Amino acid sequence: MVEERMNTDKMWITMGPQHPFSHGLWTLRVHADGEIITDAEPEIGYLHRGWEKECENRTYAKIIPMADRLCYSASMTWSHVFCKVAEEALDIEVPERAQYLRVIADEICRIQSHLMWLAAVGTDLGNLTVFLWALREREFFLDLNIRLCGQRLTTNYPRIGGVRNDMPYYFERDCMRCVERFETVGLPEIMKLATDSSPFVGRMQGIKYLTAKDVANWGVTGPAMRGCGVDYDVRRDDPYDAYGEIDFEVPVLNKNNPKGGDAYDRFLVRLEEMYQSCEIIRQAFQKLQSIPKEAPSRVKVPRCIPAGTHMAKIEDPRGESIMYLVSDGTEKPWRLKVRSPIFVNVSSSKHMVDGVRIADVPAIMAMIDMCLGETDR
Amino acid sequence: MPYKMLDKYPKKFRGTGIITPMWASLRRTFLSTIHRSMTIMYPYEKEWVPDNYRGRPGLIFDRCLGCGICVRACPTTCIELVEVADDDGNMVKRPQVNVGRCMMCGYCAEYCPVNAMTTTTDYELAEFSRKDLIYDPRRLAFEGTNEMMEVHLEEHLLSNLAKGVTDQPTAFYKTDRPVLEEKKCISCMKCSKVCPVEAIEMVVVGKNDKGRDIKHPKIDGEKCVSCENCVIACPKSALKIEEVL
Repeated sequence: MVEERMNTDKMWITMGPQHPFSHGLWTLRVHADGEIITDAEPEIGYLHRGWEKECENRTYAKIIPMADRLCYSASMTWSHVFCKVAEEALDIEVPERAQYLRVIADEICRIQSHLMWLAAVGTDLGNLTVFLWALREREFFLDLNIRLCGQRLTTNYPRIGGVRNDMPYYFERDCMRCVERFETVGLPEIMKLATDSSPFVGRMQGIKYLTAKDVANWGVTGPAMRGCGVDYDVRRDDPYDAYGEIDFEVPVLNKNNPKGGDAYDRFLVRLEEMYQSCEIIRQAFQKLQSIPKEAPSRVKVPRCIPAGTHMAKIEDPRGESIMYLVSDGTEKPWRLKVRSPIFVNVSSSKHMVDGVRIADVPAIMAMIDMCLGETDR
Repeated sequence: MPYKMLDKYPKKFRGTGIITPMWASLRRTFLSTIHRSMTIMYPYEKEWVPDNYRGRPGLIFDRCLGCGICVRACPTTCIELVEVADDDGNMVKRPQVNVGRCMMCGYCAEYCPVNAMTTTTDYELAEFSRKDLIYDPRRLAFEGTNEMMEVHLEEHLLSNLAKGVTDQPTAFYKTDRPVLEEKKCISCMKCSKVCPVEAIEMVVVGKNDKGRDIKHPKIDGEKCVSCENCVIACPKSALKIEEVL
């Protein structure tokens, strides 16, 4: 909280649904005392499509392409979490080759999602070149998606019990070329514009420290949480698929800092995550070489899922995504509940923007990487 | 495994103000004056896409059985079977796709038992009216169809994997077959009429009280493609698909 209060008239300002800072359709109503925000109210629901209800009318296989459409830039992880909850219900072990292929596709998705976020941060904080260059780098990873799955964004790649197809010829060569270029040329070039630029960093540094305790209590997950000192990542702490066999570091900042982390820390964590994703892809390809190409990548699963309740969680680029499935033994789910990381993160925006200036709101809200498709669903 | 970047960029900002970003962007400016730009002059030259690209669905007319698996696999129900004349003039059932509703998921190509439905690399689908977006079976044919556009379903049976057999990929249309619950059958012969591959033969199994023949369907496992048309047509639910796992 900022100490000095101006003695001006207080007023409610509506930021959104059409506002340069709001990625997607949502409204942040802020109560401003002069320039200082004293209260805020997030409003969502503009993009509600009845996704969960629609799933109840579809067979399990038909939900996978729908899960892609939950979030346009994290489509692979959303269809992955749906396949995982169905596999959990059927008690099926996915073949090893499919596990590594899913890990590779997940990490490609994570990199391109973070690049989309970096582009958005660039425009939010007035650095248009970051926007253009990040989208330029992102195209290389979208091309990898076309080679592997056939589509740029809506991958429709995982299946219940494996993956859609094995990787095409020369995919490993293309993917490693792309990743190495990104690590050595692409990302350092963007970082020269972002982390080496004092006007850009100045917009984020020292803006709204959040303590680890607060962030954990609000239920914030993902890079926004790790930048504030909470050391938790589903990939490492509850490994799914082949993540248990891969050696990687989870970036955490301000682990023992009682003050917590500012917006810049949350910014740095995502950049480091992109480097770690490159490392995961490299290790996954090394492990894949020991598995013959003829090895199974998909198992046949029954159409009906036995009655019961099941839950699966994975690490989305934005946080921890959970799907909760209630099955009644037929070929359609009785209920499918989605726990979206952004729905929880945006609920805490009231506390996140408390006491900051209006000009700093984009810097704070950009760090949770809004995606309204999964929030309103 | 250490951090790759966080050690280099510690929490305190040690950049060079605006000199580094200006140098980086000027360097890129000079480089792009030397190297040609990557712009594709769209209407005149088109972007290359690999053959496994999932554009609109395509159909190889002569291979199609008219079984309707694609109709039931489609998540958006954009496919329906229509009657068209084949090359010999006989009326046959073939899929018609409403591309305006299609979400390009590729399920129709994946589940097709004879690889008649394919994905294509056609992505320019704009039309002047919605009616034009409905592709009839003849229009679905795509000129440059090749083997890469056929999506092959290669599933492994869990029972095989448990035995250590990993080189026998199969698919539901090769293993799942309808089975008859004989008590319920009323010899109506609807199943044999709807079967697209003529895999069902009615066999006389006995005589009823009035002296008429009791006929039960006998399913030829070699011909059957597990399309479930007989299961849906059966008025007494006597047939059901038996899944092999």
